[in-house]
Amino acid sequence: MDFAAIHDHLKAIGAPGLLGADEPRPADKKAKDPGRSGDPYLLIDCARIVDFLLVCRDDPKLSFEILADITASDPAADDEHFWVLLNLLSIEHKHRLALKGLLPKANPVLPSATKVYRAAQWNERECAEMYGITFEGHPDPRNILLPDDWVGYPLRKDYEFPKEYHGISCE
Amino acid sequence: MQSTEPTQSSGNAILTLLEPLAPEWVPGWLVGLTAIGVSVGIVTGMIALIAMFSVWLERKVSAHIQCRYGPMYPGGWHGWAVVLADGLKLIMKEDMVPKGADRVLFVLAPALVLASIFGAMAAFPFAPGFYFARMDLGIFMILAITSTTTIGVVMAGWASNSKWSLFGAMREAAQVVAYEIPLGISLMVPLMTLGTFSLLEASEAQAGGFGIFRWAIFQNPVCIPAFIIFWIAALAETKRAPFDLPEAESELVAGFMTEYSGIRWSFFFMEEYAAMFLMSVVAAVFFFGGFESPATWILRANGVEGGIVFGLVCAVTIVLKAFFGVFLMMWLRWTLPRVRIDQVMTMGYKYLTPLALLLVLLAGVWQTVAVAIEN
Amino acid sequence: MTIEETGQKGSIQLGTESRILPSGEREFMLDVATSDIELNMGPQHPATHGVMRLLIRTDGELVTGVQPHLGFLHRCAEKIGENVEWLQYLPYTDRYDYLAAMNNNLGYSLAVEKLMTGLEIPQRATHLRTICAELNRIASHLIAFGTYGLDIGAFTPFFYAFREREWIQALFEKICGARLTYSYIRIGGVFNDSPPGWLQEVERFCDVFEAKWQEYYDLLILNHIFVKRTANVGVIPPAMARDFALTGPMLRASGIDFDLRRDMPYMDYGEIYEAGAFQIPLGSGEKGTVGDCWDRIYVRMKEMIESLGIVRWCLGSIEDGPVIGDIPKVLRVPNGECYVGIENPRGELGHYLHSDGGKIAIRCRVRGPSFVNLAVLEDIMPGTLLGDSIAIVGSIDIVIGETDR
Repeated sequence: MDFAAIHDHLKAIGAPGLLGADEPRPADKKAKDPGRSGDPYLLIDCARIVDFLLVCRDDPKLSFEILADITASDPAADDEHFWVLLNLLSIEHKHRLALKGLLPKANPVLPSATKVYRAAQWNERECAEMYGITFEGHPDPRNILLPDDWVGYPLRKDYEFPKEYHGISCE
Repeated sequence: MQSTEPTQSSGNAILTLLEPLAPEWVPGWLVGLTAIGVSVGIVTGMIALIAMFSVWLERKVSAHIQCRYGPMYPGGWHGWAVVLADGLKLIMKEDMVPKGADRVLFVLAPALVLASIFGAMAAFPFAPGFYFARMDLGIFMILAITSTTTIGVVMAGWASNSKWSLFGAMREAAQVVAYEIPLGISLMVPLMTLGTFSLLEASEAQAGGFGIFRWAIFQNPVCIPAFIIFWIAALAETKRAPFDLPEAESELVAGFMTEYSGIRWSFFFMEEYAAMFLMSVVAAVFFFGGFESPATWILRANGVEGGIVFGLVCAVTIVLKAFFGVFLMMWLRWTLPRVRIDQVMTMGYKYLTPLALLLVLLAGVWQTVAVAIEN
Repeated sequence: MTIEETGQKGSIQLGTESRILPSGEREFMLDVATSDIELNMGPQHPATHGVMRLLIRTDGELVTGVQPHLGFLHRCAEKIGENVEWLQYLPYTDRYDYLAAMNNNLGYSLAVEKLMTGLEIPQRATHLRTICAELNRIASHLIAFGTYGLDIGAFTPFFYAFREREWIQALFEKICGARLTYSYIRIGGVFNDSPPGWLQEVERFCDVFEAKWQEYYDLLILNHIFVKRTANVGVIPPAMARDFALTGPMLRASGIDFDLRRDMPYMDYGEIYEAGAFQIPLGSGEKGTVGDCWDRIYVRMKEMIESLGIVRWCLGSIEDGPVIGDIPKVLRVPNGECYVGIENPRGELGHYLHSDGGKIAIRCRVRGPSFVNLAVLEDIMPGTLLGDSIAIVGSIDIVIGETDR
């Protein structure tokens, strides 16, 4: 199914937390709109992400058995939201779906998707340590790539590199 | 450098050589002691040479199996001096004992391991007239002494204060215990065929038949499967692949030898090559004719039963046979993957031991039938 | 009394249970408490395929728990992606899965090209990209084969594998000057046209390699000891494979018929598959169970032959022409975001790129297949023997550069 069909199907079955879609559009000089290329995204509500993913996984027409990627993005230092980005893949129907959720930087908490996909476990750990996002219900919220005592969240746009780490200079 | 015939005394050939040479004022026990000292020196030198040659051989054999050359530069011709270079480097290394290691056991382990192989070499028969000790229970002594290498290995694993070494040591202990039984039982087949425990007499019992057709494997065809079982058990005893778990390089870094470096490590390796040589000698003597070959058959046919030429031919024959066995072990090492420890134990206890026992039964039946037919 | 109740580990403890002997004496039962060993298969170990730390808890030889520790090779690829220009980022892509660098370049280039709508990739460039990507797949699987043999204890196939790989690396050196990190497949096409005679040499390589492949297959994969070490070990059932988002040979070894090249084709792969140039090998539990270690190495071996088919098809239909589109030196990628996943030798390599129309990416996310595939280790390793754990880690075929990025 292509993106429009998936979107319509999700609306039809009343998937929880579906907020809308963000589709690519050509540039519009008159409206000073640079346009957007690339992939279409479904906007979802981060708080209801687990229910939404359950629907995606279990619905026979969608059957997104594979969580290809779950990551986050910090679009700008002055933007007040993180983006939580998921990418689902269906082996049976051979289609992909990209999801985007907006997470307020003031309180970056959302439920963990490990209940739905075990694949989320390590990816969420990486998001958590890189952005400071808390995944509620995560079975093992330790740092994965960074040392256990690392201070700060490196992939945030306003991150400042430390001057030294355990006596080793980082200049 | 030998006596004219096997003497009744159980002293060695060197003693019989030295006795007439000793001046009268030297007491008898001193001559004996000197003879022992000289023998020990020769054995040590022999083992050192065997180990050195085996190192070079292993590197060349492995290289050619892996489609490369191996050592080519040290010493000029195919890198024969690489062993001397290695030895020199190892001697010059820092003598490290890891922190927390049991120092006494750590130092003692390689010595024990090498000493047991030294001891087993005493039964090695070069020629009917040249031997280090004439033992009527040669093979029994060899089997008994080579078992003590396990103690050394376990000591090394424990004393290294490293969990990886401990793994290697535990595996070694389990493996050796499992394969001692098929080793001994499969040897009973040629023992029955040849009728003697002594390596010298076993070799002599295979004389005749153009130097080939009186070998034990032809005298009693049950010897052939017995040899296969013996060979597998020998591979397991000497910790060679496919049974090199105690030392499993890719799993345990270097197993029980992980914490050893320098000359202590080289002791373990000398022991490994000497043990390989020893097992090959035992196989050669009990299955493949010992020092009998077409050359000795020709010499015997011409009436030469002793003397320097005969002794040299015998010695060369048995050394060549032993090195062919060593080559075979190396060939197997570089071809086959490693067997997992529980599969090793399963094979030893569940398959090889019952099979060996069955072969002993069959060998006994054959012997009775053959003897009955002869009479 | 249990270990937890005694509060002690590994000590011989006088228990509280007792019984009265016929003589009237009270005999106490000894409470011999044994505890599990904690082994550190540390960052330096011959079998961890790089710097990765595995904390293994074992009861003798039986593994009861494992905890992987990563991050030793973390080089902040994603942060760098937000700080350098689009074209400058390409050498960094080489270095995550350094054994399959062509495929990494390809993944990144395809992702950027998807954002640059209207960009035409010349036909010759597409064919050269395919040839290089597939040759690199063969090289990467050769390493998987060789090092797996090394882990299992067969020292020789490693040398044979590297001998074939030397030829591939020499081919790559002729075309782009590098042996390991190529930066050859660039945005808009490829960097350099093939030198004269290169395509003929690739053809010769294909012919020679096919014969050699059969030798290696018979020598190691069908070896009885190898089969006993890898069959029925580390079984990943299909449901678990999907749940853990395994991709690539790990997914196909569990019997799931899915390959991005065929099912969600990019570049020319759809056309190549229609022409019948390659098939998708699947694990079928031939020597043991579906999804065991033997199936995984079997799928990798078979994929090498299928890649030869793809290379041959490309050699047959390549035509002269330009090799790179018109890309400015300072590239500004139009506003947008996309995710492109390609079939890396290790699985699905995904690049998520977010551009705001400028010279530098806003977000450059790399979904490394080794990172995702490795997560399954915590579930399949407990309950196996230590020798099996080595076999399992080797069969996942990870590259730490990609695990850590």
